[in-house]
Amino acid sequence: MVVEHIATGVSNVMDPAVLAVMIGGVLLGMLMGSIPGMTATMTIAVMLSFTFTMEPATGMMLLLGIYGGAVYAGSIPAILIRTPGTPSAAATIFDGYPLSQKGEAGRAIRVATIASFVGGFISVLALMFFSPVIADAAMQFRSPEFFALAIFGLTIIASVSGDSLTKGMISGLLGMLVATVGIDPVSGYQRFTFDVPELLTGVEFIAVMIGLFGIAEGLRKYSQGISDEQNKINQQITGFLPSKSDLKAIAPTSVGSGVIGSLIGAIPGAGGDIAAFITYNEATRWLKDTMPSFGDGNVRGVAAAESGNNASTGGALIPTFTLGIPGDSVSAILIGALLVHNVNAGPELYQDETGLLYTIFVGFLLIYVFILIFGLLGANYWARLINIPQSLIWPVIFVLCVVGAIALRGNVFDAWIMLAAGGLGFIMRLRGYPLAPMVLGLILAPIAEENLRRSLVIYDGPMEVLTASPIAVVVLLLSVATILLPVVRAMRS
Amino acid sequence: MIKKFTRSVRQLNVDNITSNPLAAVFILLSFATIYYASQFPSGEGLGAGFFPIVISLTIIVFAVADIIVDDDTELDVSDFELTPAVIVTGLLLAYLAVMPYTGFLVGSMLFLPPIMYYSDVRSKPLIATVSLLLPIVLFYIFSRIFMVRLPEGIIPISRLLPELPLMVI
Repeated sequence: MVVEHIATGVSNVMDPAVLAVMIGGVLLGMLMGSIPGMTATMTIAVMLSFTFTMEPATGMMLLLGIYGGAVYAGSIPAILIRTPGTPSAAATIFDGYPLSQKGEAGRAIRVATIASFVGGFISVLALMFFSPVIADAAMQFRSPEFFALAIFGLTIIASVSGDSLTKGMISGLLGMLVATVGIDPVSGYQRFTFDVPELLTGVEFIAVMIGLFGIAEGLRKYSQGISDEQNKINQQITGFLPSKSDLKAIAPTSVGSGVIGSLIGAIPGAGGDIAAFITYNEATRWLKDTMPSFGDGNVRGVAAAESGNNASTGGALIPTFTLGIPGDSVSAILIGALLVHNVNAGPELYQDETGLLYTIFVGFLLIYVFILIFGLLGANYWARLINIPQSLIWPVIFVLCVVGAIALRGNVFDAWIMLAAGGLGFIMRLRGYPLAPMVLGLILAPIAEENLRRSLVIYDGPMEVLTASPIAVVVLLLSVATILLPVVRAMRS
Repeated sequence: MIKKFTRSVRQLNVDNITSNPLAAVFILLSFATIYYASQFPSGEGLGAGFFPIVISLTIIVFAVADIIVDDDTELDVSDFELTPAVIVTGLLLAYLAVMPYTGFLVGSMLFLPPIMYYSDVRSKPLIATVSLLLPIVLFYIFSRIFMVRLPEGIIPISRLLPELPLMVI
């Protein structure tokens, strides 16, 4: 059965249009990932509008291509100029930059490319073979369990997505509040619409996402001062393949970090940066006696960080696809991209949309093959992209944000929503509020509300609900523990 | 933690609120939401107002905690110049405000030169090329490939552009 699904996926992916979109996504992701400060989340949010009229599988190939490409390419500036292209490449600096200082930038980039491929490939295999098992178990879930999962998703994400649990929770709750605008799905009453017809169907959460990740980020960059400072890259990167000794040295680290990174990525809220730091730390613990030591330009350090952060990409999609709980901000946007096509993430996806699902799995594997090819062949060219002037990029991104918001429903109203979200997001970031929980709140609120109200109707009261669903009780207790744990830890310390 | 919390509560004064104005705004917003949502019909079961009220109450709890416990997570405002953000926001506001009249194509052509100049792009040929080409390319991509209607404005300049064959991905 699985073989049949995989065969369907392969045949769908081999469509020339799908391949072209996939390659375009990988190249765009690598371009944006190579430029310091341009994140995968921002690029995907801005490019989301290009997928609205595509087939769902084609659109997902574009977005996943950007995702994988950007997470990989973030390592290039991290190695060359000690500035991570994306936050997930921060741990790559530890050994990548010392290698670059020794005149071995090409070697570091080649190792990063191989490790990224290995980590990414392992994570997509984990997604392909383990997620159906989880989805199968989740098929037994009913309304109380889904309500509890939505609450758990929000609390765990708020607790790990910033320095402050309170600010993370406020951000998530604000997202949930925004999601209540529009016609109440149960009673049909118009909530907070203020006689604005565009609000009847609710606030377009994709417009909010574009505002939060595109406009707010742009305003922050302008506030810090856009710098077109040219980073001098002294080294010519020549050659394509890593040496046999390097391959032998990084193989176990890449595979091990790929497995750990996939597991970390599957924890909602733990993104590529956390995965990379953990896998790097594990590598330093397990390989104490290797020379040169970690931090002095050890290729295993580069491999551990890069395999770990790329492995988080497939891992993050496990809770996203199986439970409808986004693993990180990118997966939240991917849920949005599916919703545009009336495809709901969750266990039903594995029952009703197996063709789409396996096309995504096979396509994501192929994306990592393209990353490997383009990464090895074009290292010298990607390195030059570091100096693309941001003064030119941001005006273009602003126009893309506006056209993306307008394209949602063909009206300017959504662009105003986007701008308002961007302004609020900018102020919130200045005050230390993380923005990712807000997006997750937007997605999780309808799930939580609908399932809570449905549960109470079915089970005739909250106590009945709790006695009928021990899983929901356990998940809700875990949610409470997630909030209380940091407090208890602080008290102990 | 508890000691810090009790100390913070004892020392709570107007300064806490002025140093965290956003949390105060969220509290006010939540009270307004509760007031508004409490007027929703209760109906069968929990009613349309239940969820917004519960969310707002929870926001108030966390926002009060945020005011009491100063966790120093906000960014150092001295690292930021607010003027550029205000100017860029102003340009974006103007861009959207005139779009019903100018349409997407002309509106974008008018928006790009000032924002690029403000961003320190000084090459006039580059500004002209990007300002003309980007809106046209985006217009073709969205209207001819993705079949999305972009605002036309009072004078539909876009109709002067040559028709390209339709493409569907």
